Amino acid sequence: VPGFAAGGSGIDGDVSIMAASISGYTFSSVCFHSANSNSDHEGFLLGEVRQEETVSISDTQISTAELLQVVEIHNHDPCAQLFSFYDYAGKVNEDNLNRILKDRRKSVIGWYRFRRNTQQQMSFREQIIHKQLTQLLGVPDLVFLLFSFISTANSSTHALEYVLFRPNRRYNQRITLTIPNLGNTSQQEYKVSSVPNTSLNYAKVIKEHGAEFFDKDGVMKDIRTIFQVYSALQDKVQAVCGEVEQSERVKEKIQEDVNKLKQQIALRKRKTAEEERRLREAQNAESHPTSEENSEPSETSLLSRVAFHAPSAPERPGTSPNPPSYSDLLSQEDSLLSSSSSPTSAALLPRPQAVGSPGHPTPGPLGMGLGLSLGLGSDSLDRQAAGQEDDDDDDDDDDDDDEDSSEYENLVSEAAHLPMVSASVLAQGRPAALSPDGDARGSQTS
Amino acid sequence: MNNMSPEVALHRISPELRPLLCSVVRNGRVGLDSTNCLRVTDLKTGCTSLTPGPCCDRFKLHIPYAGETLKWDIIFNARYPELPPDFIFGEDAEFLPEPSELPHLVQWDAGDPECLLQLVKELIQQYHQYQCQRLRESSRLLFEYDSLLEDPNYGRNMEIYAGRKNSWTGEFSARFLLKLPVDFSNIPVYLLKDTALDPGEDVALLSVSFEDAEATQVFPKLYLSPSIEHALGGSSALHIPAFPSGGCLIDYVPQVCQLLTNKVQYVIQGYHKRREYIAAFLSHFGMGVVEYDAEGFTKLTLLLMWKDFCFLVHVDLPLYFPRDQPTLTFQSVYHFTNSGQLYSQVQKSYPYSPRWDGNEMAKRAKAYFKSFIPQFQEGAFANGKL
Repeated sequence: VPGFAAGGSGIDGDVSIMAASISGYTFSSVCFHSANSNSDHEGFLLGEVRQEETVSISDTQISTAELLQVVEIHNHDPCAQLFSFYDYAGKVNEDNLNRILKDRRKSVIGWYRFRRNTQQQMSFREQIIHKQLTQLLGVPDLVFLLFSFISTANSSTHALEYVLFRPNRRYNQRITLTIPNLGNTSQQEYKVSSVPNTSLNYAKVIKEHGAEFFDKDGVMKDIRTIFQVYSALQDKVQAVCGEVEQSERVKEKIQEDVNKLKQQIALRKRKTAEEERRLREAQNAESHPTSEENSEPSETSLLSRVAFHAPSAPERPGTSPNPPSYSDLLSQEDSLLSSSSSPTSAALLPRPQAVGSPGHPTPGPLGMGLGLSLGLGSDSLDRQAAGQEDDDDDDDDDDDDDEDSSEYENLVSEAAHLPMVSASVLAQGRPAALSPDGDARGSQTS
Repeated sequence: MNNMSPEVALHRISPELRPLLCSVVRNGRVGLDSTNCLRVTDLKTGCTSLTPGPCCDRFKLHIPYAGETLKWDIIFNARYPELPPDFIFGEDAEFLPEPSELPHLVQWDAGDPECLLQLVKELIQQYHQYQCQRLRESSRLLFEYDSLLEDPNYGRNMEIYAGRKNSWTGEFSARFLLKLPVDFSNIPVYLLKDTALDPGEDVALLSVSFEDAEATQVFPKLYLSPSIEHALGGSSALHIPAFPSGGCLIDYVPQVCQLLTNKVQYVIQGYHKRREYIAAFLSHFGMGVVEYDAEGFTKLTLLLMWKDFCFLVHVDLPLYFPRDQPTLTFQSVYHFTNSGQLYSQVQKSYPYSPRWDGNEMAKRAKAYFKSFIPQFQEGAFANGKL
């Protein structure tokens, strides 16, 4: 294509592509003026031209810079009559031109002509005028918009055709003119163009009523409100993070304790087994019942747990309205302890819980669950292990879809099978049940 | 593109513009080829479609030029008929004349009916300049042009069309249309009158097409206005020698000119010779002349008597007399042939020389009649019935 001549004169040497757009209302306004005139019609196009440079980088080639010239037509200035700024020879009269354009002269980026039933080609006089306008207005790439109205012989069909030319270039003289939002918008989004709204009425109304929507900085109020909500949420999340950290540490510690205790249990078992063996060996001569020893290790373990749990009370972020006092808990536990048989070793092991269990069990139901489990023995524990979430679901009408809290649930549920004291304290310590008002709910007792 | 008769165009155009168009379609002759007049098609309007007619104000004008037809759009505004028109020069998108060279545009006067026609003529002149400029692409053809330009006989009556046959391959071609300065004024009027067409101006145009820039493919063609063509003997008159390879127009064109001039001379001479011949026969045979063609002098009929035997002699003089010998037809007044015609005998060869003058021819003819008649009489009695 010979358009890319190196060292071409002035505008020909520029290889930029041009894109042009005209706002819908300007276009329709030009059409209106044109269609209503009983002869050819002409006027000036006002707007702006800017250069956009796109640098595209890809792995396969060196970055190429593409220069795009964007022409935006914002407005038009129709001429009241033909030959208003030029004479029969096509010579442009600068005084008349200034009188027509006044101070809009600097925003002229092109001009347009409308003629019915003619070819889409620049005419003799149009070319002469265009050359002069280019010089006088000092716009090197002055555009020319040609409207043509073609009617069929029986006037049944009329077509409005428009072509945008840039006649100062040697090649590629025709440019596509896009009209934003004119077309098949079912497949595209409604575009907001960057064409500024120059209507005075619009500016006035917006100024009057703007205070209802905009604050003193010109930012929409809704945005501020939403931003505030967002900030509050962020704060809560930060706080929750702290609580999560705390409870994680508690969990770690408890886990350590559990492991230690397991070891102790194992150790004791071994010792017991050894002793029994020795006894049996000793009893080969004589025989002894050893029925009471079973309760001991568990008692010891219970006691150790009771003693152990005290320092691990996690901090609650002051959101629980009525946290049960320590003494209350202890009395609770005592009653439970006394009424129950000692839990089997199996009951002391943490039960695996389903992940993602919905809802937040409140300590109320949990406490009940605890009570139930301990009262009913290992079977109930198993049942509880499986069905804990369901109970909680039934009691829990609110929707707190927080998966993290369900994991805490799991911990709590696990802890439920340990001696009540630690379990209920842990229940207290569950910080994750957040209700929408930002309050943690883990501490309410039913 | 509908072929519109001038009257239809005039009927449809807006009344204020009618006089301008009138002078264009009725008498408009632009350029050398005056046999083809300007044609108007695609009459359209620039007014709203509800405007009552006639209100057409824009049309296509077909202009013959250098063997091509230019199709230019001319755009007026019916609502403002005093304003000068605008033009779209069809495919010649690069033709942009200087307005200062178009006085009838700068001082456009809508009241002058000839204004548009004059403007078109000025535009054609500018177009011609533009085409000559384009010849610069080929130095060979430019040379041809320049050499012709220098000759006053041809330089002022030339139309050039230079263009690319194929814009991709860039094959350059050009056509020269030249008006040959041959004088047809002395051609006998009778020859020119006998045509069905409007004879118009008598003109001979030579068109030379150069299909390539190096002038290796050259096709000349002669165009004569219909009356001239008829006067010179029909389409055979259009035969011209082929363009000599390596030759140039400045040699060839005078050659063709001479050929044509000779033909014309011949025809003129022929006429005069015939007239002379007939005059001589009139004086020699006096009362024996029955009738003769007093316009073209192509025929002569004599009624002669020899020893009480009457016979007719019809003399037919050919176009290229005296080069070609006249035909003598002897006819008996008494005898019929079987088909009911008068018995006749045609004699095409008899003592004759083109160098004799009319008198001599008449004398010799008389002598020949005397020698031939006995023979004819015998034949008539033998073959014919009374």
